[in-house]
Amino acid sequence: MRDAQSFDEFYRSTARRTMRYAYAVAGDHTEAQDLVQEAFTRAWRQWGRLSEHPAPEAWLRLVVARLATDRWRRLHRWRSVLSRTGPQPDAPPPSEDGVLLVRALRQLPATHRQALALHYLFDMSVEEIARETGVPVGTVKSWLSRGRSRLAALLPDLSVEALEANDVS
Amino acid sequence: MSAEISDLYRSLTVDADGVQVARPELVRRRADRRARLRIAGTAVAVAVLLGGVAVGGRLAFPADGSAPLPPPADTPGPLPTPSTPRPSPSVSSTLPSAESPTAANSPSGGGPPASATGAAAPRQPTSIPDRAFFTLAPANDRDMESWAKSAMLPALCGARYPSDSAVVQRRGRFLAYKTPQAPAGSVPDGSYRHTITIYRTGRADDALRELRQAVRDCPTQKLSDDARTWRQRLLTSGEYGDESVLFEMRSPYPDGMGEPGADEVRLVRAVRIGDVVTVLWEQGWEYTTAQRAQVDADSRRAVTAIENWLD
Repeated sequence: MRDAQSFDEFYRSTARRTMRYAYAVAGDHTEAQDLVQEAFTRAWRQWGRLSEHPAPEAWLRLVVARLATDRWRRLHRWRSVLSRTGPQPDAPPPSEDGVLLVRALRQLPATHRQALALHYLFDMSVEEIARETGVPVGTVKSWLSRGRSRLAALLPDLSVEALEANDVS
Repeated sequence: MSAEISDLYRSLTVDADGVQVARPELVRRRADRRARLRIAGTAVAVAVLLGGVAVGGRLAFPADGSAPLPPPADTPGPLPTPSTPRPSPSVSSTLPSAESPTAANSPSGGGPPASATGAAAPRQPTSIPDRAFFTLAPANDRDMESWAKSAMLPALCGARYPSDSAVVQRRGRFLAYKTPQAPAGSVPDGSYRHTITIYRTGRADDALRELRQAVRDCPTQKLSDDARTWRQRLLTSGEYGDESVLFEMRSPYPDGMGEPGADEVRLVRAVRIGDVVTVLWEQGWEYTTAQRAQVDADSRRAVTAIENWLD
C-alpha cells in the first residue's frame, strides 16, 4: 500500500535539493526538471518499498544520475536533434557564474560531474560518495581530482583550492 | 576576479532554485496515468497479435513461447516470401553464385555476374540510398533521427565477424520511437540502431551464420560500462526476408530503473534480403525495455523498404 501523504512529504523535503543536484549533473534547466520529475515518478511507483528504504534521497540521486548518464551518452548520438526539442523552461535568467560553471561541467564526463556535485552540493566525503555511487574510494578521488583539474583548465579565473582530493574527508 | 569552485556551485544552486518544481500530487497523477497507459498499451498489443493469428490463420506461435508473430506492418505492403530464396537484389530470380567467373559491365559498376543462360543477370547494388531506410508508422514517429556513426551490433564477448571483409557498403542511423499512447511531448519510448549493409555476392548469409554462432558462444557477458551480467539467447525470429536472426540480451534492472523485479531486455534482429542485411537493434530509452510486437512490426517495415528499393 502506497501512502500518498508520506510521499508528498518526502517530495516537498527533497525536491529542491534533488533539482540542484540534477542541474549540476545535467547542466540544463529543462533536463534537470525532466530528470527530477522522472525520478520522483519512479519513486512513487515503488513507494511501498522505497518508503522503507534507509536512504530514499540517496536512491533518488542514484536514479537521477543514471538517467542523466543515459541521456549524456545519447547526446553524442542525438546532439543535433535534442538541441531543438522541448520547450524552454520557465526559469529566471541564470547568474554569470552559474552559466560559466554549467558550460564547463558539460565538458566533463558524467561520473566527474556526479562526484563534484555530491561533494560541493551535499558536502559528502570521498567515502560517502564511494558508498553512494558504488565504486572504490580511489575511483572517487580520481574523479574529483580530474574533475577539478578540468574545471581549472576550462575556467581561467578559477582559484583552485589547495585542497587535494585525498584531503576531502 | 577569481572564484572558488564552491562559490560557483553556490551560484549554480541559486539558479537551480529558480527552476519550477511540480506539485507532488501532479507527479503522482502522472506516474499513475503512465502506468495505466502502459497496461492499456500492452493489452492493445496483445489484442493485435491475437487478431493477427485469428485473421491470418497462417501465423504460428514461436517454439520459444514468446509472443506470436504479428501481421505485416500496419500499412499495406508485400509479404516477405521466405519460401522462395531471394537472389541478389534484382528483379530477376536468378541466383548469382559467389564463384561467378565474369562480371559484366553495369551502369552501377557493381559487376553483375553473367548467367549461364545469357538472361539478364541480377544487379548487385553498390550504394544504399536514403529510401532504403524505413519510416516509422505515424503513430510511432517521434521525428528523431541521427546519422551518427556507431557499431552495428552490441558486443558479444568480443566476437569478430570475418564477413566484414566482404562489406560493399554499410550505412546506419539512430531512430527514436514512441508508443501510440505516449502523451505529447514525452520522451521517446525506445530507440533503434538501424543499419543496412551490402555484402559481396553470396557473402551475406555468412554474416547471419557468424552472428548466430556469436550469440551461441556468448550466453553471458559483462559490458565495459555496466556492472551487471547480461544473458544472451537466440529466439525464433519468424519469417523476415530470406532468413533472419533474432536474439535478446537480458539483465535485471539496476535499482530504481524499470519495474521492480523486472528484467531489462534488448532485442536485435538481423534480416538478409539477397546480398543485403539489415539490423534493427532496439536500444531503449532511459532504461525502457524492448517490446517484441514493436520490434516485429518495425522489422517488417525495414524489410519492405529494402525490398522496394531493390525491386
